Amino acid sequence: MTISKLLVANRGEIAARVLRTAKARGLATAVLRHATEQEGPAHLIADEVVTIDGPTPVAAYLDISQIVEAAKRIGADAVHPGYGFLSENAGFVAALEKAGVTFVGPTSEVIDLMGDKVRARAFVEERGFPVAPSAIEDDDPASFVERASAVGYPLLIKPSAGGGGKGMRVVREDSTLETEIETARREGERYFGDGRLFVERYIERPRHIEVQVMGDGQGNVVHFWERECSIQRRFQKIIEETPSPALTPGQRDEICETAAGIARAVKYRGAGTVEFIYSRDGAFYFLEMNTRLQVEHPVTELVTGFDLVAEQLRIAAGKGLSAAQADIPQTGHSIELRICAEDATTDFRPAIGDILLLDEPMGEGIRVDSGILDGGKVTTDFDPMLSKLIVHGPDRAQAIARARQAVQNYVVLGVTTNTGYLDAILAHPDFASGDVSTGFLAEQSETLTAPGEDVSDLLMAAAALSDERLLSDVMQISEMHRKMGGWRN
Amino acid sequence: MRRILQINGEETETWLVHDGACFILNTPDGAIHCQLEAAGAKGGHVLRANGKVRELRLAVGPDATFVHMNGRVHEIGRIDPAERLAGSDSGSSDDRVIAPMPGVVLSVAVKPGDQVNEGQPLLVIESMKLETTLTAPRDGVVAEMPFAEGDSFGLKDILAQLAPEEE
Repeated sequence: MTISKLLVANRGEIAARVLRTAKARGLATAVLRHATEQEGPAHLIADEVVTIDGPTPVAAYLDISQIVEAAKRIGADAVHPGYGFLSENAGFVAALEKAGVTFVGPTSEVIDLMGDKVRARAFVEERGFPVAPSAIEDDDPASFVERASAVGYPLLIKPSAGGGGKGMRVVREDSTLETEIETARREGERYFGDGRLFVERYIERPRHIEVQVMGDGQGNVVHFWERECSIQRRFQKIIEETPSPALTPGQRDEICETAAGIARAVKYRGAGTVEFIYSRDGAFYFLEMNTRLQVEHPVTELVTGFDLVAEQLRIAAGKGLSAAQADIPQTGHSIELRICAEDATTDFRPAIGDILLLDEPMGEGIRVDSGILDGGKVTTDFDPMLSKLIVHGPDRAQAIARARQAVQNYVVLGVTTNTGYLDAILAHPDFASGDVSTGFLAEQSETLTAPGEDVSDLLMAAAALSDERLLSDVMQISEMHRKMGGWRN
Repeated sequence: MRRILQINGEETETWLVHDGACFILNTPDGAIHCQLEAAGAKGGHVLRANGKVRELRLAVGPDATFVHMNGRVHEIGRIDPAERLAGSDSGSSDDRVIAPMPGVVLSVAVKPGDQVNEGQPLLVIESMKLETTLTAPRDGVVAEMPFAEGDSFGLKDILAQLAPEEE
């Protein structure tokens, strides 16, 4: 089987990134665009742009029949889903299969299994891989509260169909358990159309460590090492790196082999990520498996030298894995910063605006996967992530230094972004020493958003002297005074 | 000519003049002798102000100026005092619950005419995937609840209005 024309069923930076690899491999390429959507880098790269419509832009990107129809109409023989949207939707995979279009990703059965957090957990546990103590509502709904309470506090309530931190609640005492369960259930119903829940022991000050895996669908699986993703706000990652500063070489092999083992157990096909929660005592537990390319995949690419999208396309075309485990190095250190349109000082409120000036950093060891263009508009139609800044250095300290310099030179004017906040994280001594947990940003929120040196006199001068209307009024008055001969200061 | 400049929520009244040789920005904290010249890359400028020299990148939006300086971006709101007076709004902020971010109304707990106490839940909203309960800012009577369950609202929309307090 060969793939000659690829439709990327996504947008923003990930669409641009996938298209670049597809084009470099000689494929004809196409990408989607909603009628009201701003032009982005992906639309400039793709050979063809397919307009989709829907009541909202997001709804259009979730419209399975419209997208499958588009793929058939333009003669695409494969669809790459990117991340988010339909990337983990088994119905989409089945619809493409029926239409004779190759889905670049795993089978619908594996997506179904891993998409159901409860079934995934049970599957992993049954095969002897580590999972945290838990209680699953479906096992016996009548005794759920009682069994949840027995897991012990603190505990975490999660929607069975969930992901991305939505609907998750931490409960620290028995008295609030029942009300929190009801709130989580409502959130689950709203986000996922599914109110079933499970609880698990909440690990205090945990790390989030995940492993990139790649399988050929025949049971051959290799891993591309780990990524540390503990720097999170609202359960969503904003800085990721590899290698993890927390792991010893022995622990690294153990966690990576565990991930590969889980992927082997489902005869995984394509790129996937096994996420673990890593406790301070060195124990780690399976969290979930994401059956797609992750936002943070570039850090893995920079330390291994592999193009993961090229690997995905190769596997989708039935050509198998390109490398054996021993041929996958982990060289140097890589860090990714997610540049988001949001205000870190007001609880990460999404920001909107026109991009008046954009100048993205370049240079040795610097990669920018951007979804925006100078002159574009940032709206609330989509996720606030605008682009990703990824750096590579010979070691962690040098990677941090390079990341700081690059993010300080990442100029986005016209819409509030988190570049200053990201730099403050990189400058924090606990980040430098690697002593962080998933609660780090919340614990350090005051330090990280503290105002810097007071430069308001300079800023006011700059604002006044660049205000054309103000200057012209001032000069007219000045001229008038001069002519009257009475001007003295 | 006057401008109100706003940095991190703090407003400063300024008055710009030109003495024939140099611009002077007068502020309550003193005068700033200043000069701005375009230089280098797009939006690049050199600013001289009270003896300090800084390289910066700058972009002017309709209501705010954005400055990139020493690796940080700053936003300076610009308000023409004349326009503010012309469009001045009525009603005390204490009477309103303003949307802290865009979102959707999940439920409404009170109706116009209801007597409420400070801290009493008025409505539940969902913004950025999180549920938040908004409460009465003071004791009073509900005058208006502009949004119903299921309605979407924007940033800074008024979500609840209390009747003005009697003096």
